[in-house]
Amino acid sequence: MIEKSLPRRIGMFTVTLGAMLSFVFILLPFLTNSCTILHSMSEYLAENGIDPTRYYYTDVEQVKESEIYLRSVLDGE
Amino acid sequence: MAQDTNIVIDRGQSRWSDLWTKEDYLAIWLGFAVIAACILAYFNFGPKEEFSLKVAAADQIQQAEEGKAPFHTIAWHTAADDKAKLKASSSPFGKFVAHWTKHPGSWKNNPADAFVRSQEQADAMNAKAMPAYEEAKARAAAALAAAVEAENAAAAAVFSNQALNQEAEARIADWRAEQKKAASARKKTENKPYNYIPTLIGLCVFFIAIFGAGIFLMGNSARAFAIGFPAVFLVAVLAYMMGGQAISKQYGFGAEAWGILLGMLIANTIGTSKKILPACQVEFFIKSGLVLLGAEVLFSKIMAIGIPGIFVAWVVTPIVLVTTFIFGQKVLKMPSKTLNMVISADMSVCGTSAAIATAAACRAKKEELTLSIGLSLVFTAIMMIAMPAVIKVLGLPLILGGAWMGGTIDSTGAVAAAGAFLGEKAMYVAATIKMIQNVMIGVTAFCVAVYWCAKVECEGGRRVTVAEIWHRFPKFVLGFLAASIVFSLLDSVLGRGLSEAMVEQGVVRGGTRLLRDWFFALSFAAIGLSTNFRVLAKYFKGGKPLILYVCGQTFNLILTLTMAYIMFYLVFPEITARI
Repeated sequence: MIEKSLPRRIGMFTVTLGAMLSFVFILLPFLTNSCTILHSMSEYLAENGIDPTRYYYTDVEQVKESEIYLRSVLDGE
Repeated sequence: MAQDTNIVIDRGQSRWSDLWTKEDYLAIWLGFAVIAACILAYFNFGPKEEFSLKVAAADQIQQAEEGKAPFHTIAWHTAADDKAKLKASSSPFGKFVAHWTKHPGSWKNNPADAFVRSQEQADAMNAKAMPAYEEAKARAAAALAAAVEAENAAAAAVFSNQALNQEAEARIADWRAEQKKAASARKKTENKPYNYIPTLIGLCVFFIAIFGAGIFLMGNSARAFAIGFPAVFLVAVLAYMMGGQAISKQYGFGAEAWGILLGMLIANTIGTSKKILPACQVEFFIKSGLVLLGAEVLFSKIMAIGIPGIFVAWVVTPIVLVTTFIFGQKVLKMPSKTLNMVISADMSVCGTSAAIATAAACRAKKEELTLSIGLSLVFTAIMMIAMPAVIKVLGLPLILGGAWMGGTIDSTGAVAAAGAFLGEKAMYVAATIKMIQNVMIGVTAFCVAVYWCAKVECEGGRRVTVAEIWHRFPKFVLGFLAASIVFSLLDSVLGRGLSEAMVEQGVVRGGTRLLRDWFFALSFAAIGLSTNFRVLAKYFKGGKPLILYVCGQTFNLILTLTMAYIMFYLVFPEITARI
């Protein structure tokens, strides 16, 4: 297998990185700002400090809040 | 390493020396060393006695108030708030750990904000947020005054007048809502300056030391690891930075996804240097992270929403997991059983964390884990936006909608977001259902590991002895379960209030969780740096993983909605009425 030359590999890196960054910093913001519901959701998440990237319950503050609320109404504690 | 490093190869023999030479055991010792250090530090040098007294005092107030009125009084709520404020992570040790494990933070337009914030910037942000806080504080004070007046009126009637009691309850609920807004507004006025670069360098050195020691004991070159590790760490740092960007965060693309993307970008374009590959210790990072994750798997959480929660989270989930796996094997004829299992667990249990635990338990290839997480992230972003809209259009009750989303959307953060879009009560139910599912990870990993050792990995027709199952069993799963059992016992012995203050808000959130997060971020960076895109693409051939995910998730959506309706509206409507 012929290995690609360094300039070609750097070129591919640059183009691919550019595409990824364009998707995140150009396309997604455009999509968010163009669609009212997405824009509202974006503002809501920022306003309330909700982080959708967190995957376990100990990473998400709203889980603690939910637990406390449910305990207060269900246990009477 | 010349051999295939995609999976852990088990020779099927055990020796005493495995305890200090094998990766699984070393991951357990590393995880337990961190756990022991955190427990010793918080319980010996933390504010345990002070918290114990404060919790007892608050409990006493709450008991007295419960006997007084048929609703939760202002004093009851204030006592509850006092307990919630108790956090062992505010102690000197907690601040030390938090300081030295900081990762790049959130930013919007300038990536440098993820690493450095000056005093001037912090002051400007605080000044900008102050008017909104003052307004929210004033509204909360006014709401409190109204609540006090209403409660006093109800108390004057000895809490026997239903109309006055209902009025007091409503005014107190208004006060709680305003108080929550004021607390949220206050947080925006408490920005501090920071510079994470020195602590990131220090943390990198610390990781080289602890993982390097393990690498050395495994008989590999700690020097080669130390030379390559800064690059892996740098990719993880950049992944945290990209995952902290506002838009990326909104759509659920965090450090894990970016670690894989950036790593794969480097590996498949300029190429990962041979000097870096010895530091791409994917399994070691993941197994150590999973042992620490065990500390967060507290079995007491499964009762958080009563029996309906157990049915939605712990009955539906295994049915969906097993059914999807069988569907993948018998109908789709997935070529890889491990890929099938990882996707099934990822989709049915709780997304990324379940995928990680299951992949390690059944020794899946790292490309299979990558593919599974990739599918999960895409569908999570779609479901987080679509499900609240569908629930509103269908006019489903909030509790039902919340339970449905909690049991089906993969990641907890996305569940909280989707629940919040729908309404407060929906969020409470959704987030709690997801938390109960999260607790299932330990059991899932153990069962998958046993099944794989006893059935999948043995030759057809051959009977597997207990000794052989032990030989093949991924030992780190025992460390994961042991951590879970230790912390669950600690949780029950200390009692709820003190356990939350010292264990959950101390040892876990102020210790083990911080390092767990880093270990997983490193593992995804390492996966990306050592993944060949063509090999990854091969696993997607025919689209079977996508079909499996879609079919499994469809079944999950139908079954979860059905079970949630039955449990919350037919069998236990009284629980639903109280929420």
